[in-house]
Amino acid sequence: MFRTIEEYLDALKNAMKDADPALIQDAQADAREHLTNALEAVREKTPEVSEADALGKIIEEYGSPEETASAYREVERRTSPVLKQTVKPQTALGRFFGVYLDPRAWGALLYMFIAFITGIFYFTWAVTGVSLSVSLLILIFGLPLALLFLLSVRGLALVEGRLVEALLGVRMPRRPLFSHQGMKWMDRLKALLTDKATWLMLVYMVVQFVLGTIYFVVIVTVLSVSLAFMAIPVLQSVFHQGAVMMNNVRYSFPVWTYPLWILGGFLLWTIFMNIARGVGQLHGRFAKWMLVSE
Amino acid sequence: MSEIGATTKKFQKELNAGTSSLVLLGVLSRSPEPMYGYQIAKMLEESGPDIPMMKQGTLYPVLRSLEENRLLESMVEPSVSGPPRRYYKITEDGRAALAEWLEIWKQTKKFVDATLKG
Repeated sequence: MFRTIEEYLDALKNAMKDADPALIQDAQADAREHLTNALEAVREKTPEVSEADALGKIIEEYGSPEETASAYREVERRTSPVLKQTVKPQTALGRFFGVYLDPRAWGALLYMFIAFITGIFYFTWAVTGVSLSVSLLILIFGLPLALLFLLSVRGLALVEGRLVEALLGVRMPRRPLFSHQGMKWMDRLKALLTDKATWLMLVYMVVQFVLGTIYFVVIVTVLSVSLAFMAIPVLQSVFHQGAVMMNNVRYSFPVWTYPLWILGGFLLWTIFMNIARGVGQLHGRFAKWMLVSE
Repeated sequence: MSEIGATTKKFQKELNAGTSSLVLLGVLSRSPEPMYGYQIAKMLEESGPDIPMMKQGTLYPVLRSLEENRLLESMVEPSVSGPPRRYYKITEDGRAALAEWLEIWKQTKKFVDATLKG
């Protein structure tokens, strides 16, 4: 029925077409690992058996694409989704302040901080890799270098996926998709170069630098402004310093405004947490679109 | 006939849904070294009954979900030929869970046997 492993994987993908692309990618990676190992074992024992015959029996034991697809769907359904919202406040006000209890909001905030660091690294890696590979192409070792670089991009995309899933709660692949095994390295390089996914990953790495910087600047700014607002009463009544300085004269805000400053700072941060949660979800969708090959 | 066959298949599948986690944890707790999916499947095939209880493909999503619940941990190692293999190892949490699950399994078995005997 299936002459090659690739055919089985295609059928599996087809059987899972309504499932999450990340789950499909995982299922394919598992099936590829199992079928290759099983085929190897059969070949060692009986080298004269044809690949198609051997595969028939192996797949009989592994399960048809439909059976395998339903097994994955079943387990995924039972596994608790990552970062499920722990409380579900009903009113709009409850939702607004409930953001402090929502792991997705804190996750998004942490992700934005980390994105600043990873963004710089991705950008440096991408720019160095591309320029080194391209400029060394006139020498013979430019090609293997390009291959190594493109493979590293795939690896980094997987790592970024894990980060996105852990902090933003968007399902991403947990297994790399090895679609080029058994190829000669020149063919492998060609396959990587013509694969749209590789280029999308590379673009993502560059864009991440810009986004990471923006996230970082915005977080630091809003956090300092909110804290500064809340610090005004302390500054004035404990340290006896006027909060505003104009023409070398310090002015103090009247005492009755203290609650307003504290409330203002708190509200500002709460609004920002809500926005961060939304941006985190958007970023998760963006990452999925860029990093998960359809 | 096929009606009964389908129901039986469904019954087997539902039964497997619970037992496969227990079996996998048990296998990995006894193995001194981390094992990869195909190895585990092969081992179950050899020690299992003549009629295979479950398709090998159903083991992988269960392994994955056990790992997600931190009962197993895994690492990828390259193989000589073919794609890298993912090796699974039981964690301390996994051993603790296995001990509890075994107790539940024993109770369940006793209960079912006793009920069926009447």
